[in-house]
Amino acid sequence: MRIVFAIVLSTMASVTGLAQTRYFTKSGRITFYSRSPLENIEAVNNKVVSIWDVNSGQIEFSVLMKGFEFEKALMQEHFNENYVESDKYPKAIFKGIIESSNLLGLAVDRSAAVKVNGNLTMHGVTRPVTATAVITVKNKLITAAASFSIVLADYKISIPSLVADKVNKKITINVNIPDYQLVVKK
Amino acid sequence: MRRSKKNIFLIASFILLCGGGYFNKEYNRKPADISNIEPDVSANATALVELYENDEAKANQQYLGKTIQATGVIAEINNLQDTLVNVLIGESSSMHKVSCLLDIRYLALIRNYRVGQQIIIRGICTGYLMDVEMNRCVIIEKK
Repeated sequence: MRIVFAIVLSTMASVTGLAQTRYFTKSGRITFYSRSPLENIEAVNNKVVSIWDVNSGQIEFSVLMKGFEFEKALMQEHFNENYVESDKYPKAIFKGIIESSNLLGLAVDRSAAVKVNGNLTMHGVTRPVTATAVITVKNKLITAAASFSIVLADYKISIPSLVADKVNKKITINVNIPDYQLVVKK
Repeated sequence: MRRSKKNIFLIASFILLCGGGYFNKEYNRKPADISNIEPDVSANATALVELYENDEAKANQQYLGKTIQATGVIAEINNLQDTLVNVLIGESSSMHKVSCLLDIRYLALIRNYRVGQQIIIRGICTGYLMDVEMNRCVIIEKK
């Protein structure tokens, strides 16, 4: 009987523990910038999904390529049809680990810089990515921000020579999570 | 001879001017106002979610990048990033819904709507994550 009770207790503890350490959002924002002498290009996606398990440090981001909005329609069309081929590769996914995530201590107001290592899959290509993220807790609101650069050629994204001067071969990506919500198991 | 050269010069200038004007207009074209675009598909929000749940790749072939007019019950109206509003439509009991990011011109109109009300929303389908996602959404009101 004691053994059964111990098993039930440990199962409950692990389930409760898991429920208390997972955070989630469907309203993250990713922006990217291409700066070149002829033109700056910017796009924004406001529907980024992210799941973060604080105990293990595992973090994941998913974003729909067609969800990126540009100021000019022609840029958006070229981005989807010629560069990222969003009909063929509709999503970009990042899977990684936040170093020392379990030591962050999210119960009190604080801001901490953390290192994130992982793999970004985009345009059918998976490449390692490392970034520094800042995680902030203020009045129980958990936010996160990170910035990193990628080289388009690494993801087999080729820019036609006609517009090569207008698109930087290195793109800066900014990730902003305005409200990580605690996952509550029902 | 001189006159024909002058004519050629005038025609070439006219063509260049028209071409330049067209290029400039096309280059600076803003994304289209969805309220002026006829929908490619009209669908019930619950049925749309079911199609994506059952076979995402097949549903993408049908709907990805298309203008969709979705009808359903409002499950949630959420503020996003301080300045944006997102409307979830579909069965409140379902985990997955149609998630509509409103065109900022419709932020005032959505204040007339409440959770549980029927709504018709037209937008561009961008795919499926946790929900079927639509961008640049406009509210269609029956006249």
